[in-house]
Amino acid sequence: MLGLAKGLKYTLKNLTREKVTYDYPNKPLPLPDRFRGIQKFYPEKCIVCNQCAQICPTDCINLTGKKHPDPAKKGKIIDTYDINFEICILCDLCTEVCPTEAIIMTNNFELAEYSRDMLFKNLEWLDENDENIRQVNKA
Amino acid sequence: MIRTEEMILNVGPQHPSTHGVFRLVVKIDGEVITEAKPVIGYLHRGTEKLAEDLQYTQIIPYTDRMDYLSSMTNNYVICHAVETMMGIEVPERADFLRVIAMELNRVASHLVAWGTYILDLGATSPFIYAFRDREMIINMLNELSGARLTFNYMRVGGVKWDAPEGWIEKVRDFVPYMREQLQGYHNLVSGNEIFLDRVKGIGTYTREDAINYSLSGPNLRCTGVKWDLRKNEPYSIYNRFDFDVPVAESGDAFARYHLRLSEIEESLKILEQAVEQFPAEGQILAKVPKIIKAPKGEAYVRIESPRGEIGCYIASDGKKEPYRLKFRRPSFYNLQILPKLLKGENIANMIAILGAIDIVLGEVDG
Repeated sequence: MLGLAKGLKYTLKNLTREKVTYDYPNKPLPLPDRFRGIQKFYPEKCIVCNQCAQICPTDCINLTGKKHPDPAKKGKIIDTYDINFEICILCDLCTEVCPTEAIIMTNNFELAEYSRDMLFKNLEWLDENDENIRQVNKA
Repeated sequence: MIRTEEMILNVGPQHPSTHGVFRLVVKIDGEVITEAKPVIGYLHRGTEKLAEDLQYTQIIPYTDRMDYLSSMTNNYVICHAVETMMGIEVPERADFLRVIAMELNRVASHLVAWGTYILDLGATSPFIYAFRDREMIINMLNELSGARLTFNYMRVGGVKWDAPEGWIEKVRDFVPYMREQLQGYHNLVSGNEIFLDRVKGIGTYTREDAINYSLSGPNLRCTGVKWDLRKNEPYSIYNRFDFDVPVAESGDAFARYHLRLSEIEESLKILEQAVEQFPAEGQILAKVPKIIKAPKGEAYVRIESPRGEIGCYIASDGKKEPYRLKFRRPSFYNLQILPKLLKGENIANMIAILGAIDIVLGEVDG
């Protein structure tokens, strides 16, 4: 019986403790800066080096480039950029290899959609995803 | 005269007490189990085969998803294997960060094991207490790595991020807090007479059985075998810390339960010393080539994960992908003794025995 009483004492002591739960989704969840959420993409920074698509462990990034409209300038600019969030595991490797920080993580993580097709996010969508962007990107 | 009939009962794969998608087909005679057949593979993703097409850095996020309760040790074992093959010396600061992260993760993992085991036996509140304290660890690891479970934190040659400002102090403050909570856990459950009656003397096996079934971790140490790779084959910087390897003699479910709580205590000891000795500055990543190519040959390394001995075998033909990769996943091996333990047991003991083995299905199925 002593063991039971001891256990009950612990429970009673915890009755008056402060709550540790969050009022999510009514209030936003506090997340650290490093949190890996849905990516934000800067089309103007991208140099179409293809490194993000190559390092992606699940092959979820598809991109195409086109010639620079200004004939005086060399190199390519981005034409289409799609991430398939059905298979993206938000592992952060794409942002790690990007030499110009054209793709970076944000703190947004809510991805629920009504249809699978909606999980294909294109360049415009990723460009507009510009809230809670990660401040420090490289260690 | 009561006539009994043999019946086949299917438990799982969608059963909360199987901790994932584990199926158990039991043949019962009345209330006594005459045969138990585990069916696994519902969570099989073919990590080892997938890895053959992936660069070494790309494999790390896949290892997160094997034992998803202690991703840090999984991260470490693959990095450690590649580092061994390439002969890379890891900077001291990175080693400390790795050890702190791994030990925090070990505490978190044992907290889940503790909480869910009691939950399986029918008590709800200890589970909530365990998750309350685990949440603090998860938040700390989130600050460090940017994810709550799938950390993807370690890299070949070091770690991805340095500790954020004030993080080490947070870990330092956490240790005494957790010690106090641990005492509370013992008060709450370990002395409870109902619980003791329930778990003492069930699922017992001998030292020989444990070794023959190649069990490891708490499942081996509960039979009195003092075997912990952190002590017996020190890797990383574990030889710098002073800690004990708790063992029990009885080999029953209660011994395993008690060992896990004792191991939390030992992990806290390591954390305390690691935080104290933490170097003020230094590199967090060794000089490694941008594209990592393990030299031709093979290597096998093993470390102590919360569930036992996790090993990684790499056969390389000098390319940037491994030729063959094999993980020795402790949960898979630990599970193999289950049919033997269940035979002749009462059906009411089934979940209590399964829970005490503490499997993670992501690891069983690989």
